Amino acid sequence: MNETLHTETAQRAMQAVQHEGCSDARIILMHNDEDTIQVRNESLERLQHATSTSLALNLFIDGREGFFYTNDLRPDALSRFVREAVQATTLLHPDETRTLADPSRYYRGDGLGLDNCDSMLSAISPDEKISLARRTNDQVLGCDHRIICAETHYSDRLHSAYTLISNGFEGYEESSHITLSTIVTVSGDDGRHFMDGWGETRIRFRDMPSEGVAPIALQRALRKIGQRPVRSGNYTMIVESPVAGSLLAPMLAAMNGQAIQQRTSFLANRLGTRVGSSLLHIVDDPHIPGTRGACYFDYDGVATQRRILFDEGRLTTFFIDTPYGNKLRMAPTTQGTHHLIFRPSDKSLHQLMSDYPEAILVTDFNGGNCDPTTGNFSYGIEGFLLNKGEIVQPVSGVNITGNQLRLWESLVGVANDADPWETELIPSLAFDEVAFGGK
Amino acid sequence: MTSPFPFQPEDLRRVLSEALSRGGHYADIFLEDTSIRSLELQDGMVSQAVQTVLYGAGIRVLCGEQTGFAYTMELTMPAMLRAATFAASIGRYGKGGENRQMPLPCLATASKWTRSDEKTENLSPLAVRDILLHIDQMAHEMDRRIVRVKASLNQRLQTVSLVNSLGEEFTDIRPRTTLFVHIVMEQSGQTEMGYASRMMQMGAEMVTETTIREVVSEAVRRAAFLFGASRIEGGETTVVMAAGAGGILLHEAIGHAFEADFIRQGTSVFADMLGKEICSPDITIVDDGTQQGDAGCLAWDDEGTKGLRTVLVADGRLESFMHDRISARHFQVSPTGNGRRQSFRHPPLPRMRSTYMLPGQATADDIIRSVRRGILAEVFTNGQVQIGAGDFTFYMKQGHLIEDGRITRPLRDMNIIGNGPRALRDISLVGNDLQFDHSASMCGKGGQNVPVSQGLPTVLINKLTVG
Repeated sequence: MNETLHTETAQRAMQAVQHEGCSDARIILMHNDEDTIQVRNESLERLQHATSTSLALNLFIDGREGFFYTNDLRPDALSRFVREAVQATTLLHPDETRTLADPSRYYRGDGLGLDNCDSMLSAISPDEKISLARRTNDQVLGCDHRIICAETHYSDRLHSAYTLISNGFEGYEESSHITLSTIVTVSGDDGRHFMDGWGETRIRFRDMPSEGVAPIALQRALRKIGQRPVRSGNYTMIVESPVAGSLLAPMLAAMNGQAIQQRTSFLANRLGTRVGSSLLHIVDDPHIPGTRGACYFDYDGVATQRRILFDEGRLTTFFIDTPYGNKLRMAPTTQGTHHLIFRPSDKSLHQLMSDYPEAILVTDFNGGNCDPTTGNFSYGIEGFLLNKGEIVQPVSGVNITGNQLRLWESLVGVANDADPWETELIPSLAFDEVAFGGK
Repeated sequence: MTSPFPFQPEDLRRVLSEALSRGGHYADIFLEDTSIRSLELQDGMVSQAVQTVLYGAGIRVLCGEQTGFAYTMELTMPAMLRAATFAASIGRYGKGGENRQMPLPCLATASKWTRSDEKTENLSPLAVRDILLHIDQMAHEMDRRIVRVKASLNQRLQTVSLVNSLGEEFTDIRPRTTLFVHIVMEQSGQTEMGYASRMMQMGAEMVTETTIREVVSEAVRRAAFLFGASRIEGGETTVVMAAGAGGILLHEAIGHAFEADFIRQGTSVFADMLGKEICSPDITIVDDGTQQGDAGCLAWDDEGTKGLRTVLVADGRLESFMHDRISARHFQVSPTGNGRRQSFRHPPLPRMRSTYMLPGQATADDIIRSVRRGILAEVFTNGQVQIGAGDFTFYMKQGHLIEDGRITRPLRDMNIIGNGPRALRDISLVGNDLQFDHSASMCGKGGQNVPVSQGLPTVLINKLTVG
């Protein structure tokens, strides 16, 4: 990113905003460099490069709030864009709760030390990236006669953003991530196809694993051959770490200020109360150097901090931004999670599986939804029926049903296998007496 | 129509020439100028506006079945040539490259299409503000239990131009208007939320009093319905898909698996079934880009193929897959006009448009009367499919239990699971009441979302898993 040029563009936009008579505004100028590579079997299928610069403008005019986004940064176009944005905002009804954050909450540090950006990424040539994707895919080609297709995707992104807020905030941040993933499709004896994948994400190119991704994907696809439903009933459910976040997502959504104010949150009256078993212990820690999601300030410019979200089963935080803090008459916190850590145990996944005589290991969710007002959910799952920790049958065509609050109350086990390179570090989790609907 | 993009034909010819300089056999430039304007009502006030401008060009080079792609948000010749140079580099890798030095046609004499005879008008912000306030009042008058109304009206105007190395060129204006209404109700300490929407490829003319009342009524009815609804124990059961929104069955059970990139890769469960009988001869399924006003309507797709009506299943036989240029070349058939992209920032992929089943002979009442025990699935929120195995799911927000041929109690919040080929074979009755669903329906694939629609007459599926 040309930091000076982009800083000047944002400052020019701020001057235009103020020239149009608007005194309160937030401007974010974002720049992304992205490469995508897709290798299918022996061939390079797709090579893609993208460079984008865009400007987000958030205006506050006498309690009226407008969000505006453009990537047309030609000076004339930007002036017209700002003028129209101010006009559109002026037409709204005043809502005195819509204000910028209190400047005393803004981050005031130097922005250094997070160590979450690969400054060398732009120097890596497309040939090196293609070579990594090809080498990865080649690791499974010809390994098993049941392989129909092996596809490896490489993608990287170098992101930077400059934020300027009219009541006294200026901040610059940058980050990077690189993802390498393989999807393998195999054929069973009966001609049915089974597909599964595996992926790894890192902050730096040099940390990308050169082995393992594709073989794990192949092994995961092969073990699905012969999937069939289990009989309906209540089972212990063990949810594998890579997909455990899907179960937690409705809880995090229900902690959002807008959901609470709009009465569409099943956690609305539960702050400070017990909403899960004592194993439900989660912190958001955005200040750990070298981790994804690490940041010193949020979208509002507000300084981030370590927060306990669930303290041994007790709900301790709502995600409240300034407008919804005003509407709810609650102290604002932050808008969401940055680097979430679910407290692990000292058990491996296999040890956790062995704790239960019969259980179902859920390795993926297949559709389903959760009602935000009641917390009732129904999800399709696939995975494996376990007996004393050993796989006895691959499972698909089965739903789980329940209620979020009852589910988290039934949390009985936690493993230690969360991927440290994710923004949400959630280990495999075990729940007692979950209703499975199959045959 | 004057082109909104700052290039002369010779400029674009130069960019295409650069794009093909490393051995590609085909190249196209997709230019886009889109504005999206939305106002939102919440707590009785229209206090939030959202506007987005998307402006740029995507340059794609095909080299056999390989794709090189780059985009730029800076519409200048140096930036366009840089993007073309990157996209061209696909020619350096592996297969393809058989058309090096391909002569370019003269753009001035090539095929040109422009849809310029249609005027699109958007509503002014003041008019939208009044409509949203009207919705708020209308909803509160419909039911005293309402405690929250949230509504938004989104007006999108996309102007696109495509120029390709075959000498084809088109410019199209694609308006899209979407109305969303959320209702929250409380009764005896219980809170429920209902939601309804409309999305059409048209401008202000979509927002009539009739449409507004339909959408608000639907949202209010759906919220109220949930107070008395419950779930049944999970397991296998007979499912009647209601006409209209039940079209999600086609989208998830077969639609994605008929997209020809999955066929070309051999991963789709239907990959070897072309020409074979896959379901009852009473069933004909179409994917259609020609229905005016429909969210899936395309005068030309996003790689220059004219919008077509494609019969996928004819009288129970698999007739065609949905092709873009790459898969059409692979199978040596004509593209079917299914090459779609979310924006200039994405390369095209084979995607659905409006997918529906033609009507059969039975009445909806006959179908329900034929069921000893099962469910009538009526309102849906989301669905997905696993292409390899063909296992699909969709989430039923609202439905009814059927016992001894009669609708008995209301049901809610159940996930329905099936397998595409098996579910298609298990359709035993097709109703005579085809309806189209014009709810805001976005289909996601490969990180891209495009608007689609679907239609279905009432159908009976002998067995699916619900839970």
